[in-house]
Amino acid sequence: MSPLRELQAAMRAALLDEPGRAPVTAILDDGLGAEARLAIYRHHVLDSLTEVLGATYPVVRRLVDERFFAYAADRYIRRHPPAGPYLFEYGAAFADFLAGFPPCAHLAYLPDVARLEWAINVAAHAPDAVPLDPRALQGLDPTDAPRLRFGVHPSLTLLASPWPVDRIWRANLPDSAETTVDLAAGGARLAVCRRGEQVVLDALEPAPWALRAALAGGRSLEEAAAAALGLDPGLDLAAALRALLEDGTLIAFTLSPREEAP
Amino acid sequence: MDVGIGLRARHVAEVLARRPPAVWFEVHAENYLGGGPAIAELETVRHDCPVALHGVGLSLGSAEGLDHRHLRRVRALVDRLQPRLVSEHLSWSIVGGAYLNHLLPLPYTADTLALVARHVEQAQDALRRPLLIENPSSYLRYRHSTIPEAEFLAELARRTGCGVLCDVTNVHVTCRNFGLDAGQYLAALPAETVGEIHLAGHSVNDAGGRPILIDDHGSRVAGPVWDLYARALERFGPVPTLIEWDTDVPPLAVLLEEAAIAGRLGRPALAGARGVPAA
Repeated sequence: MSPLRELQAAMRAALLDEPGRAPVTAILDDGLGAEARLAIYRHHVLDSLTEVLGATYPVVRRLVDERFFAYAADRYIRRHPPAGPYLFEYGAAFADFLAGFPPCAHLAYLPDVARLEWAINVAAHAPDAVPLDPRALQGLDPTDAPRLRFGVHPSLTLLASPWPVDRIWRANLPDSAETTVDLAAGGARLAVCRRGEQVVLDALEPAPWALRAALAGGRSLEEAAAAALGLDPGLDLAAALRALLEDGTLIAFTLSPREEAP
Repeated sequence: MDVGIGLRARHVAEVLARRPPAVWFEVHAENYLGGGPAIAELETVRHDCPVALHGVGLSLGSAEGLDHRHLRRVRALVDRLQPRLVSEHLSWSIVGGAYLNHLLPLPYTADTLALVARHVEQAQDALRRPLLIENPSSYLRYRHSTIPEAEFLAELARRTGCGVLCDVTNVHVTCRNFGLDAGQYLAALPAETVGEIHLAGHSVNDAGGRPILIDDHGSRVAGPVWDLYARALERFGPVPTLIEWDTDVPPLAVLLEEAAIAGRLGRPALAGARGVPAA
């Protein structure tokens, strides 16, 4: 390892306070002490990344209060520092971290609220995509339809929770009229995506949600339709697909190979 | 006088509505590398005002080398925006795959100079234009540093053809923190390499009974920094100057006031020949 590489690894250990770190002997005391000097940098690293997480997770921050949020963020940042300079991509694992963080175990809905806020963040920053032109499907042989697989808009996340996370989220927006949420009100099945410049949350019935989730997961139209119709045999599949084309959810399609005759 | 302000998200709508005259804007490249409406808004701003790109994520001083995926993304942004200036920092942020979100100081040695020069050349080749490299503000020094920072930057510019972004606040902060002479620092930068100046607020903190200056970009430019800026203009001539403000960002009007002060200080420099003291 080059001396510079060694120094940078030692600085990282010191800034993130990694266990077993050694003093960075290359730093001059300059009348203040190397540790006090490192602390200035550590404060900025943790503070600025806490701000980044707070901007992505404002409702989580509000639910647990500012001080607890700073404490949880501090633990998270030390364990999961950013992998790159795109800070809008930072914090993907925060919901899972909260789910395993004992001090907030009593807030069972908190990780799912964090998942919703992450989905909103992903939707806001996802690349732009051109919706699939329905005319592209017109030339298909109808018997090929079951083998269709679709690419979905990169901003789309499908989220299912046993908690009413969309209501919790809305109630905690600034200036929200709603101030209480009945946690026993039942779960939520949500589609979060960006349409134009706007991030939208759609609360869906189980069958249309399952259709989207299966297609977004790369399943064929046949498999996705089976999953949706299994939940609601009365679902108007053609209308549901038209809706997905009209709202720009679908952006591409492929035909999976025909199964070989036995 | 050529003065700009750092464009922050909370001001974009007002800038688009008001189109403040006679200023240009600088943005952090990393904030525009995703999708969504931000980049389209910036392109609208760019219709009327020049835009400069300021990178914070290349980590030119990382021993493990540059992230070429990041460099490609910056290149695509440069191609799309055609900014008037592109700048980065004399610092490092990435080690072992972790981005530490701070412009961390480098030991100024011959080995570091060779490494940073190599990375600046790689970046300039990828972006197909010269970079301006900014002096950081420092709160620590390394035992084995042998080259004064300004001389390090001068030699980096000589080897790579890059320019220098002279952050006058950072010169003030670093020199005060280590008892160095800011005038000597400016004198060690070759005037012809300085292509941009940054100005920002800083704070004075107490560290065990002694003051330590921190460049927090959270207030108006301080009196001593304006004085140093006037000296920088005498030495470097009327280079494009940018007002930065990142924490507790005030209304746009406050940034425009700061820009106007810089503009007034810049008039004598504009009248005098480049590099010739006005006094």
